[in-house]
Amino acid sequence: MIQRLTLTARLTFLYTLVSAAVLLGLGVLVAWSTHLHFIDLDRDHLLDKVHLIQEMVDETPERAELASKLGEALNSHQGLFISLTRGGELLFGTGGITFPAELDGRSASDQPLDWAAGKRQLRGMSTELSEAQIPGGATGPGPNLRLALALDTQHHTHFMQMLRQQLVVYVVLATLLSGLLGWWAARSGLNPLRTMKEHALKVTAHKLDQRMPVDAVPVEMAELANSLNTMLERLQQDFEKLMEFSSDIAHELRTPISNLLTQTQVSLSRHRDPETYRDILASNAEELQRLARMVSDMLFLAKTDHGIQLPNREEVALEDEARSLLDFYDAVAEDKELRLRVVGAGTVVGDRLMIRRAISNLLSNALRHAHPRTEIVLTVESQEDSSSLCITNTGNPINAIDLPRLFDRFFRVDKARTHPSSDGAGLGLAITKAIMLAHGGGASVTSMSGETRFCLQFPSSQKQRVSRVTSNQAQTITSKE
Amino acid sequence: MKILIVEDERKTGEYLCMGLREAGYAVELLNNGVDGLHQAMEGDHDLVVLDVMLPGMDGWQVLKRLRAQGREMPVLFLTAKDHVDDRVKGLELGADDYLVKPFSFSELLARVRTILRRGRSGIEPTTLQVADLELDLLRRRVTRAGKRIDLTAKEFGLLELLMRRKGEVLPRSLIASQVWDVNFDSDTNVIEVAMRRLRVKVDDGFECRLLQTVRGMGYVLEVPEHS
Repeated sequence: MIQRLTLTARLTFLYTLVSAAVLLGLGVLVAWSTHLHFIDLDRDHLLDKVHLIQEMVDETPERAELASKLGEALNSHQGLFISLTRGGELLFGTGGITFPAELDGRSASDQPLDWAAGKRQLRGMSTELSEAQIPGGATGPGPNLRLALALDTQHHTHFMQMLRQQLVVYVVLATLLSGLLGWWAARSGLNPLRTMKEHALKVTAHKLDQRMPVDAVPVEMAELANSLNTMLERLQQDFEKLMEFSSDIAHELRTPISNLLTQTQVSLSRHRDPETYRDILASNAEELQRLARMVSDMLFLAKTDHGIQLPNREEVALEDEARSLLDFYDAVAEDKELRLRVVGAGTVVGDRLMIRRAISNLLSNALRHAHPRTEIVLTVESQEDSSSLCITNTGNPINAIDLPRLFDRFFRVDKARTHPSSDGAGLGLAITKAIMLAHGGGASVTSMSGETRFCLQFPSSQKQRVSRVTSNQAQTITSKE
Repeated sequence: MKILIVEDERKTGEYLCMGLREAGYAVELLNNGVDGLHQAMEGDHDLVVLDVMLPGMDGWQVLKRLRAQGREMPVLFLTAKDHVDDRVKGLELGADDYLVKPFSFSELLARVRTILRRGRSGIEPTTLQVADLELDLLRRRVTRAGKRIDLTAKEFGLLELLMRRKGEVLPRSLIASQVWDVNFDSDTNVIEVAMRRLRVKVDDGFECRLLQTVRGMGYVLEVPEHS
C-alpha cells in the first residue's frame, strides 16, 4: 500500500511520525521530571520538619510541655500530619490519618513513602529521634522516640493531571502542525520534480529539442536532469538520422524506379523486335542491380548507425590489405595511367572484411577523382596509441565547405552530375566512416593545393579491446580532431 | 540433377524455377515449410534451395529436421535478413551456402553450380581448353592457336575461372570474390576494366571472340553460337 502513496504523502507521513515520536518523548520527560521534582520538594519539606521537631525535643525535656509546644508550632501547617510515639504510646499526634505499618523501622535517609488514605494522597516518612539525657530526668533509657510525618500531596496530583492534559493537547497539536509543515516542505522540496515533469510532458517525437532546466533544479537533481538531457540529445540525433534516412531512401529510390517504370511501359506500348527487348531488359537489370546494391548499402549503414558489434576481431596488417586491394584496382589504375604505391606498415585489430571494404571505398574514390598520369600513395603509419592509413591523390581541389560533408550519405560535390553505374549511390564514403566508427576510430579528409588526402584512424588495439565504442561515443572522438 | 525450391513468395519461386529449368536442372517448387520438409525427405534431390521465412515451419527447422533424419543433401539458404548471426546459425545447422535477398539470378546460378560440382571433380585437369585457347595450369602458360599470350597473375586467375566454368554466366560479384577475394559490394567498374584488358590480350586479332559480356548479368567464356 505504501508504494502506491505519492512521494509528498509519504514524506509528510514520515515527517509526522518522527515529530510525534519526538514530541511524545519530550512530554513524557517533562512529566517525569516534574514528578521527581515534587518528590524532592516534599522530602526537603518533611526533613525540615524532622529537624524542627528534633530541636524542640532537645530543648524541651518535659513531655507535656513538648506536646503543647508542638501543637502551637505545627497546627498552622495545613496538610501536615505528625505522630510522635514512644514504644507505641502516643506523645503527640495531629490526628486525622493513620500511619501505615510500613513506615516503622525506616529512617530519614530513606525515600519518602506514598500511600492513599481515603481521599487523601499522602507522602510521608518516619525516623527515630535522639533524646538528650536530661539530668534528673525521670526514666532513664527506654524505648526511643519515633516520629512519623506525612504531607497531603493532593495539590501535586492536581497539578500533574493538569500538566499531563496540557502536554497531551500540546503534543497532538504540535504533531498536526508539524505534519502540515512537513507536507508543505515536501511539496515545495519536490517542486523541481514537477518542473521536470512539465518539461518532460512537452517532449514528443516532433519536439525533441526540449531540455530539462539544469540550473533551476537543486544540485542533487542536476545530475538527473543532465542525464535526461543527454538522453534527449541522443534520441534527437538518432531520430533526425532516422528521418533523414527515410527521406533519403524515398528520394534516392524514386528517380530510378520511375525511370524503370517509364522505360518498361514505353517498351510495352508497341511491338518491338527481340533485340530491343533484350536491350531494355539488360538495361533494367543493370538499374535494378544498382538499386539492390543501394538498398543493401543503406541497410549496412542503418545497422552501423546503432553501434554494431564487430563480427570478427583479428589482427589485420593494413599494408597487406592495401597491397591486395591495389591488385584489384591495378587494371583501372593502368587504364588511367596512375601509379599506386603503399608506404609504411601497421597492424590493427578489427574485422578484416570491413577494413578491406573501408580502404577499397577510399581507393575507388581516389581512382575516380585522380588526374591521369599522377600517383596515388597509401601511407600506413603506426604510433603508440593509434594507427592510420592515408590515401593521397592529385585531383581537383575540393571546396572547404564540402569537406566535412563528404562522408555524409548521398552527398555529391557535383549535384548535377549524372553518375555512371559504377559510381555507386554516393554511399561509399559514408560506409567507410561507419566502419571506422564501429572500430572506435574515425575518418577524415583534407584537400590542399590539388592534393586530396583521406585518412582512416584506428585506435590502438589495447584501447579498442577495453571499450566497445558505440557510434555516438566515436562521434565525439572524431569531432575532437 | 534435381533441385527442390521451397519459397513462399510466388513470383520469386516461379522465376527461380524457370531460370534453373532453363539452366538444365529438374526443378520442383513448394511454397511452405511442412510440404518442403516432406518432399525433401521423400525425394532424391541433389540440392534444396530453402527460404528462411516460410509459413508453417521456418527454414531453420526444416534444415534441422532434415539433418536429424540423416539427409545430407546440400542446402542453399535464401533470406532477406542480413544478420551475421543468421549466417552463422545457418552454417552451423549445416547449410552449404547462404544468399541474401535481393540477389541476382546469375549469382544464385553460379552458387548452385559450385555446390553441385563439389565432390564430383575427379582428377584435376592440368590443362583447360576452349576452342583454340589453351591454359596450362602447371606451367601457368596460355596459348591461343599456338601463339603464347602473356598474362599477369590476376589475369591468369581470371581466365582460369572463366575457362573452368565455360558456358556459365559469371556475375561480377562472383568474379571479384573468386579472383581478388573481394567479398563485398565494390566498384563494378574494376571488373569491366579487367575484362576489357583480358579481352584485348585473348581475343584481339582472332575471328572468334570467346570472352563475351552478357548485359545485366556478367561475363561468359564460350564459343559464340553464330560464328
